[in-house]
Amino acid sequence: MSIQQFINKELIFTKLNFNSQRELFHYLYDKAKQGGFVTDDFLSRLTEREKIFPTGLKLGKNNVAIPHTDAECVTKEFIAIATLNTPVLFRLMDNNAEQADVSLVFMLGLNNPHNQLEVLQELVGMIQDGAKVNQLVQSSSREEMYQALNGAALRK
Amino acid sequence: MTKKILVACGAGIATSTVVANRVENLIKDNHVDAEIEQCKITEVKSKQSGADLIVSTTILPTKYDIPAVIATAYISGVGMDKLDAKILSYLN
Repeated sequence: MSIQQFINKELIFTKLNFNSQRELFHYLYDKAKQGGFVTDDFLSRLTEREKIFPTGLKLGKNNVAIPHTDAECVTKEFIAIATLNTPVLFRLMDNNAEQADVSLVFMLGLNNPHNQLEVLQELVGMIQDGAKVNQLVQSSSREEMYQALNGAALRK
Repeated sequence: MTKKILVACGAGIATSTVVANRVENLIKDNHVDAEIEQCKITEVKSKQSGADLIVSTTILPTKYDIPAVIATAYISGVGMDKLDAKILSYLN
């Protein structure tokens, strides 16, 4: 099992522009819904969960967020990836009194995560790899991002 | 006596899976006699009796009777060694 199996080209978005987290979530939900990945209540539950248990991670140069919600809202598993031209504010996972400018978002649509340790570890490994995060943030097209996610561009 | 660790995250799905694995390796490497249970943070309140430590990837919505550690470092990668030491200090 590898992260590639969860990444769909149709759910990769680069250099998006939003004024708020709400707009970003709405956009990603619309795309996931169109592709048949989520139920109708995914957006409201994602938003609600983010409010109570935020998912922003302060990493220094490029901050990341991993919004996700309950398993029953996911009909087909996926990981959506979006980079933001103008960063969007997320509250921090370990402190909801603090916010960070996030420019890379992994929206996780998992419904059987206990069996997906490898996928999640791969994702966490990517988040912890500053060069990789930078490469993803710099990607200017869906194709470039897809290549970067597959590691091809890093293997020089 | 075997210690019990509750590993929790907001939805009990994504992040606690990674953290539970990390803590499992940590206790194995340090020969700590402990077992891990993965759960949602909302379940911790009722599960804390009989447990020794809470390791949470998310903010703690309430106060608990047993020690609680926030383990976001295992996701962000910032300060992982310090967190290892902190968790071990509660188990020794």
